[in-house]
Amino acid sequence: MPGFGASMGMVETFLRETNEVLRERDGERLQDFLVIEPPFKPIYENLIAEVRQSYPQDDEGKDRKRLEERIQGFMTECEEIPSENGVVGSWSAMVQFLAEWLAFLRDLNVENLLDTYLRLSELLKKATNALGHSTKGIIILPTVIAYAKVFARLAIGLDKKPELIAHLVISTSEDGSQETLPEKAAEVLRKAFVSCLNDRNTTPTGIRDGKPDGKKVAIYKLANICLKVLFQCDKKESGEYIFANISNSSPPLSIYPASERVTYLYYLGRFHFMANHFYPAQIALQRAYDECPIHASCLKQRRLIVIYLIAANLILGRFPTPSLYGRPEAHGLRERFHPITRAIAKGDLESFRRLMDWKTEHAPWFLHYRIFEQIQNRCEVYVWRSIFRKVFLLSGDQGDTNRRAAPTIDLRKVLAAFHYFEKRAMMNEALAQQDAGPGRRHISFLFMDTTPPASAGYVDPDFDGLDIKPVVRFQDIIEMEAIASSLVLQGFLNGFISHSRQKFAITGAKKKGGALVAGFPRVWEVVRQKAQGQEDECPGWKRDGGAVGLGGTVIRLSGARGVGVGEW
Amino acid sequence: MSASAQGSSTTTKAVVSDAKNGDEAKEQKPAAQLEEDDEFEDFPMEDWTEEDTQLPGGNTHLWEESWDDDDTSEDFSVQLKEELKKVGKA
Repeated sequence: MPGFGASMGMVETFLRETNEVLRERDGERLQDFLVIEPPFKPIYENLIAEVRQSYPQDDEGKDRKRLEERIQGFMTECEEIPSENGVVGSWSAMVQFLAEWLAFLRDLNVENLLDTYLRLSELLKKATNALGHSTKGIIILPTVIAYAKVFARLAIGLDKKPELIAHLVISTSEDGSQETLPEKAAEVLRKAFVSCLNDRNTTPTGIRDGKPDGKKVAIYKLANICLKVLFQCDKKESGEYIFANISNSSPPLSIYPASERVTYLYYLGRFHFMANHFYPAQIALQRAYDECPIHASCLKQRRLIVIYLIAANLILGRFPTPSLYGRPEAHGLRERFHPITRAIAKGDLESFRRLMDWKTEHAPWFLHYRIFEQIQNRCEVYVWRSIFRKVFLLSGDQGDTNRRAAPTIDLRKVLAAFHYFEKRAMMNEALAQQDAGPGRRHISFLFMDTTPPASAGYVDPDFDGLDIKPVVRFQDIIEMEAIASSLVLQGFLNGFISHSRQKFAITGAKKKGGALVAGFPRVWEVVRQKAQGQEDECPGWKRDGGAVGLGGTVIRLSGARGVGVGEW
Repeated sequence: MSASAQGSSTTTKAVVSDAKNGDEAKEQKPAAQLEEDDEFEDFPMEDWTEEDTQLPGGNTHLWEESWDDDDTSEDFSVQLKEELKKVGKA
């Protein structure tokens, strides 16, 4: 803020200066001018003192009205003016915003977090209204972005203090559903995002000289701030609106700065992951990882990206290599993921069950990142495939190409393997280790009770107190056929089931040069082939060359089917 | 939130041990910080070039697509094989 004339009041000087900044269309300077975070320079303290004295808070809102009148008197830049292209409409929203800003500074009490949040929410709404002006709105864009960042920080902070916001959480939205504070905050931010996205005062493509034009420059900045609030407060599903709108009418992501691209793709990848669309999740996260700087200062971002990237790849049948585990951002991840991939590869259902138990050592870590159940559910199918494969390796009939006899797997043996693993998984681990197989068991094992414990069975709480013994149910031969059918349907097994002979026959062994290659296609290959034709398809990621939507169409991302996701 | 509370306590521990044994703490500190919370922080710079993202040595082999386990001689397979032999005998 400049120096003040002695005869002029602080408010008047401030308004004259602001009008000058608007005339120069200097958005950066306007942002520097309109501070909201203490500590304030003495000049602002003086301004605040004058506003407190001349425009004290009034419950009926008269102070606001008087402020607006005063502002209007100085803001020639907010008046309606004729121009070459017709009349430029008045900018009354800017006047209202400035009045709100002065009142915000006057009443600011940082001790009261909730009140500060609510007032900032109002201020940001007014700033967003001012942003809506077709030609002048862009001047206030840097201010809106700066406020949005502070506002998001406050919303996230408050969400972690439920005692302060409990009374706000129960309020309901228009359709009767409950809306939490972070969702309301995201709604305020979303309006600023939409205002930028739908800026019509740009070239038809929204691009000028290879850069985003007009307010579209802030699309991803604001989207990322909004997504940060939604993700930090566990309302990821509400991000769908942002992604759908970007798909619909954003310029391509590639013309935006790298920090915005990587941040956006991280959130997009996590959104798809949450929606069980693991293939698009992997595409977005892989690009985020590839484009994230390797500087030590970006280690935390790389770490978060790689955790979800590994989880998505695991679910799609690709495992991390030692060189990935060796990266600084992957520190300690081998200890968590490798035992799981080892169990999958071996067909070790017992270890898989133990590793994917809620009580296991690493479960809290996986749960914290919300990747536990997805791995548990999706990767078990790969363990099944590996069991079939292992049983074939150990006891399968290799067939005879001369007699045109197909290689076969005895489903009763597969069943025996399942039972063997499931029973061991129910023993405590020390006991299972003593069981080294028939003829090799530790002597103490013979004296132990190896029947599954009662806790392994399930009794509905409704039957609590009644004398009901839980039944521990194991798979039967029909289930082996069902599992084989499911694996065939998903493309992870090649062949057919002979129900009468209780066997699974591998087809195409001669043509493909071996029963293993023919019978057990690589999981990732199967997943990738299913995705072909839409390999780069990642809804929400605006690519180069894509037509910019004209608005009106909303892509329902929740309906987008995840490629490579089985029917199970 | 408990996660952030835990995080801050680990950081404090790391700092404390830093005073006692510099080298050991240097190794532990990044790991402790890495697990703190899952907030995707703003990047310290707005834009960067492709060179800033190149992995050292250009090692881009990140994923193992062929991971099937053909080992039939390790304990796991030997035990399973014995178990499978019982099928049909009973």
